[in-house]
Amino acid sequence: MAVATKPKVTPKIYKPEFPIDWCPGCGDFGIVNAIHQALARLNIPRHQVAVVGGIGCSGKAQYHVSTYGVHTLHGRPVPYATGIRLANPHLHVIVVSGDGDSMAIGAGHFVNAGRRNVNFTYLMFNNEVYGLTKGQAGPTLPLGLQTKSLPEPNMNAAVNPLMLALASGYTWIGRGYSYNIRHLVNLIVQAIEHPGSAFLDILQPCPTYNDLHTKEWFAGEDIGHGRLYDLQEEGYDPVIPQDADEDTVRAKLLRFIEKAQEWGDRIPIGVFLVNKNIDMYEERINRRVGNYFETPPAVRPLADENGITLTDLSPIFDEYLMT
Amino acid sequence: MAREYMDGATAIVRGAIDAGCTFFAGYPITPATPILLHMVRELPKVGGVALEAEDEIAAISMCIGATLAGARAMTATSGPGISLFSENIGLAIMAEIPLVIVDAQRLGPATGGATTGAQGDIQFLRWGTSGGYPVIVLAPASVAECYTLTLRAFDLAERFRVPVFLATDKDMVMNMATVDTEALKRVPVRERRLAATPPPQYRDPRWRPEETFLPWAFEPIDAVPPMAHFGGPHIVRVTTSTHDEHGFLTKDPAKVQRLNEHLWRKIMDHREETEFAHYDPQEGADVLFLAYGTPARAMREAVRQARAAGHRVSALTLHTLWPVPEGILSFALRGVRRVVVGELNFGQYTREVERIAYREAARHGVPAAEVIGVYRVDGLPLHPEAFLKAIT
Repeated sequence: MAVATKPKVTPKIYKPEFPIDWCPGCGDFGIVNAIHQALARLNIPRHQVAVVGGIGCSGKAQYHVSTYGVHTLHGRPVPYATGIRLANPHLHVIVVSGDGDSMAIGAGHFVNAGRRNVNFTYLMFNNEVYGLTKGQAGPTLPLGLQTKSLPEPNMNAAVNPLMLALASGYTWIGRGYSYNIRHLVNLIVQAIEHPGSAFLDILQPCPTYNDLHTKEWFAGEDIGHGRLYDLQEEGYDPVIPQDADEDTVRAKLLRFIEKAQEWGDRIPIGVFLVNKNIDMYEERINRRVGNYFETPPAVRPLADENGITLTDLSPIFDEYLMT
Repeated sequence: MAREYMDGATAIVRGAIDAGCTFFAGYPITPATPILLHMVRELPKVGGVALEAEDEIAAISMCIGATLAGARAMTATSGPGISLFSENIGLAIMAEIPLVIVDAQRLGPATGGATTGAQGDIQFLRWGTSGGYPVIVLAPASVAECYTLTLRAFDLAERFRVPVFLATDKDMVMNMATVDTEALKRVPVRERRLAATPPPQYRDPRWRPEETFLPWAFEPIDAVPPMAHFGGPHIVRVTTSTHDEHGFLTKDPAKVQRLNEHLWRKIMDHREETEFAHYDPQEGADVLFLAYGTPARAMREAVRQARAAGHRVSALTLHTLWPVPEGILSFALRGVRRVVVGELNFGQYTREVERIAYREAARHGVPAAEVIGVYRVDGLPLHPEAFLKAIT
């Protein structure tokens, strides 16, 4: 095979030949297409990307991106992504996770990832139901609603993913819609480019089990106008600049909270927060290790040709020496 | 001679770093916390990454993720943490992840005796995840062995691409002993077997190496496939599900059967490579003392006293618990009338010894050795008297 001098990257490059078993009309198709397009736009070679999925319909998305992929356990893609990225900080790591995976079984990991701010992109497929197990109430389904699989109305209130992401410390927070692919691609590109943990809540109607918040509902067929609007088109500025003073930060956060609470007839999508005031975890490691980015754990030489370790531990353990 | 006064935790950390460990994630739990603390302090000094995770599930998940990207990883916990590891241990078996897991055992069940030693996890470590597939469990009986067997654990993890447990306990990890560091037995660092590097066109985004490279192909069935790190020249897919040679989920019965048989046979067909023990035979002895971990120390004292009193006693300290070192056991059981097994549980390993004793007796047409278990489950160490009383 000849090697082109300037290979042209198209979204097709990232598309593997693996049969898709999502339902017809599933919002997941739009998300996967958007991932392909975002990677192509950023021109990232496939061997520098790892897509990490949990369990559920969302977790299968990693089979449909032709890069490194891990199908992990229910609720656990975040710590896997953390391990991959910290072992090799030159990889672009993308988490594909559902609302149940992220906000229920994996909520502890979600919160603590925010505290670390490792550089990865977190795409949450939010359809308010457990689709793979046939439509039980997800943690983002509002209190009192009854989707078609539920024998009784939902007795739990919904968690607000944007608010939880803010409280946890995510430094880039956005919301997209799986049927607005052009907008979604822009968001994913920004999320990947952000140096830190970027959380993107993606509204993704489940055509099979969520008969309340459907494509038609988001299109506002019942109220005569679309429910979704673009924050950036209305002039919302999400950026907290580096070295911002306390008043600026407080004003930004209050504005964020106001926007994150909007739901119903007007639902904002777009970039809610870009916090440039907090460094990523890898920088914190580098300050301790020194040459972390040059020789991260994944590429560190371990032993000489005789299998003898290259590590000299004597200075470390001097305190134990008996004389 | 360089003498150092150190605890098992220090020896384990030292062994891990000498074995090339570059990544550690753990969560505080008595009595494994000293390993976490030492790692967080020492690993960055040699260029590694060590972190305190939000829970045990995150800790082992991070270790598996780091291994996929090319690190050598270890985590450490106690019984309650092993419970939380369970599902990820299954993933590590399924995805053939080399990984070292230290279990500093404490008295159970549940929170149990957090500050007291025990050996109640011995069957749990073997059967602690669904499916019943084999893992390797090593058990050091001294601070020096904590060092050597940690190296051995990393070696076997790489050899078989499987999680390897180091079964220690509170007294082993936290009690200090004088160690001659120059006499410490080393195990050479085994290089990770990686998939052959493909031609440079892998940087061409249009090249599809996954069409020719099969990361989950094994031939013959007991062969361990080479790894391909994330970020390297091959595109690989890792899954918790039953998968084909590409790493795609499959339900094809023939492929499922072959994969599962592979996970079994890659270890069980080569179990002799995993068998380690210290055997101290005495000419003409028909009594065998047997122990692993902390009770082996009491056993050694019991052997000294028994021999001084004119008894003929052999002693076997097992360093490998799983797979059961059947070769070593059947050798040591020859001509033995009585086996005394000392454990800090209700005889979890005694039953394995009994199983081998009956099988060997049937094979040779002789009466089976009588297997006597001496137990203690009050959190205190076994004393030499427990062995001595069982001689007659």
